Amino acid sequence: MRVGFIGLGRMGKGMAHRIHGGGHDLAVYDVLPEATAEFGAAGCGVARSVAELCGDREIVITMLAEETAVHEVAFGPSGMCASMPAGAIHMACGTYGVGTIRALESAHAKARQFLVAAPVLGRPDLAAAGQLGMVPAGPDEALRRCEPLFQLMSRRTFYAGPKPESATAIKLANNAVLGCAITAMAEGFSLVRKFGVDPRVLYDVMTEGLFAGAVAYVGYGKTMVEETYDRVGSPVTIGLKDASLIAAAAEIARVPMPSHNVYIERLLGAAAHGDGGLDQAVLAREQARRSGLA
Amino acid sequence: MKNAHALNVGLIGLGRMGRGMAGRILGGGHDLAVYNRTPGKDTDLIKEGALSAPSIAAACEGREVVITMVTDDAALREVTLSAGGVRKSLANGAVHLTMGTHSIACIQQIAAAHAESNQTFAAAPVLGRPDLAANGQLGIVAAGPRQALQKCEPLFQVMGRRTFLAGDRPEHAMAAKLANNFVLGCAIQAMAEGFSLVRKYGVAPQVFYEVMTESLFAAPAYKVYGKIMVDEAYDKVGFTTLLGLKDFNLIMAAAEQARVPLPSGNAFRDRLLSAVAHGDGEKDWAVVAREQSRASGLE
Repeated sequence: MRVGFIGLGRMGKGMAHRIHGGGHDLAVYDVLPEATAEFGAAGCGVARSVAELCGDREIVITMLAEETAVHEVAFGPSGMCASMPAGAIHMACGTYGVGTIRALESAHAKARQFLVAAPVLGRPDLAAAGQLGMVPAGPDEALRRCEPLFQLMSRRTFYAGPKPESATAIKLANNAVLGCAITAMAEGFSLVRKFGVDPRVLYDVMTEGLFAGAVAYVGYGKTMVEETYDRVGSPVTIGLKDASLIAAAAEIARVPMPSHNVYIERLLGAAAHGDGGLDQAVLAREQARRSGLA
Repeated sequence: MKNAHALNVGLIGLGRMGRGMAGRILGGGHDLAVYNRTPGKDTDLIKEGALSAPSIAAACEGREVVITMVTDDAALREVTLSAGGVRKSLANGAVHLTMGTHSIACIQQIAAAHAESNQTFAAAPVLGRPDLAANGQLGIVAAGPRQALQKCEPLFQVMGRRTFLAGDRPEHAMAAKLANNFVLGCAIQAMAEGFSLVRKYGVAPQVFYEVMTESLFAAPAYKVYGKIMVDEAYDKVGFTTLLGLKDFNLIMAAAEQARVPLPSGNAFRDRLLSAVAHGDGEKDWAVVAREQSRASGLE
């Protein structure tokens, strides 16, 4: 297939290489031209603009970190909606908000194009290895056409339904559950510390029992025990960005999420104390502060 | 089968957990006397060689370790501190080991009473259900004086798959156990919120369940409780909403005592209370997912 790829960050790079490696005709675009060099060298098309990229593509994938970036790329006068052929598919792989997904869906529909939301689960190393989880949703026909690409990028595809926003909801809900797990662990560690218990004991009890095998607990819990918050996986600021998408989705759908509200409040507290650039496990330190421990 | 390191053990409290644990102690070759306030719970154990004690005093006489496995603080206070209780009956040099889940304040009170009588007290609350108790696969969180824990070690080995040593004061074990329950409750609440969110966006709950349990949350807590929520099988009760509320009351009391704000715990406790208010007190506590649905206008 003729595939276009916009957004060659750490995740996007790995995904794009998988598609090219799968034998598809790939053209790429990034606002930073230097990000495209390795793809040019590998024989991919390198477009100088979104419009140039989209003109003859059957599927165009976006993997952008910021909502403003996807708005610019999709809705601008020379953006995707204006440039993609009728019948082409926009596969939106970044984590965008429900409002953005709805706006994209209707703009593409007007241009007789399709939107498939396909947020991904996993880190850059998994992206490079084609081992992501992908949660796609969109019209059946469009999903069927995207299927070969899902296979190249992911170890498992979780089909969420015919409405793109369903995929967004799953991705956001999964992030919400993670945020709440981090917050709860932070509270648990403060509680045991106040009673003079070594946090490692709680870590062992959790991760060898009910939470055995859960990366969320094993990973973030360990960072909390060791207080190695400067080895950053996902920083507080990114957590805040995602959390605001979750809160917006919850408000649109009328779903009160009290635990998630607590997570937001703790993230804000951490950022207020200058910990915005640190790993989200630093919520344990924020919780400790609230408990008079730090 | 007699065991070279056999202990003389008393066990008070033959609920579903206590009976399973007693079976394991007998199976390990230890000598066991059992007592339960409501008689008739020890028939099978007597067949397996247990001595049926007619009173707490009789269950303590000549015993090196006396285990209490009772449902709540009031029961623990009664069996320990009442006129014919463990404190008055414990043999010289014996250990009182309490294995139920109790409030920190109660554990501190019992510990102080035993200290006054120059007796040794340890706490070893357990993680697991009755089937795990019967199979000797409990997690055991133990804390107390080192010598007491050493003496109890052979018992931990027959009752548990793993012992976590939490510290030298009994309340250390209780704090760790309560904190683990706390994290579990918060996970249940978070899942409940997640399921409501995806349902509102037209997602089949099963899909969200698979995404969670095959990525970051491939753990029993999420698999077991997530499945109950997907199937809405709240009548197959592992742990009731009312018991969950009781546990969270213990947790919030511990947190208040230690001056630790637990906002996630407050959110979950409120949902538990609402579930009880809607008549779901005897359902499995995963029913907070239904409560969350109600709050979201889904039910």
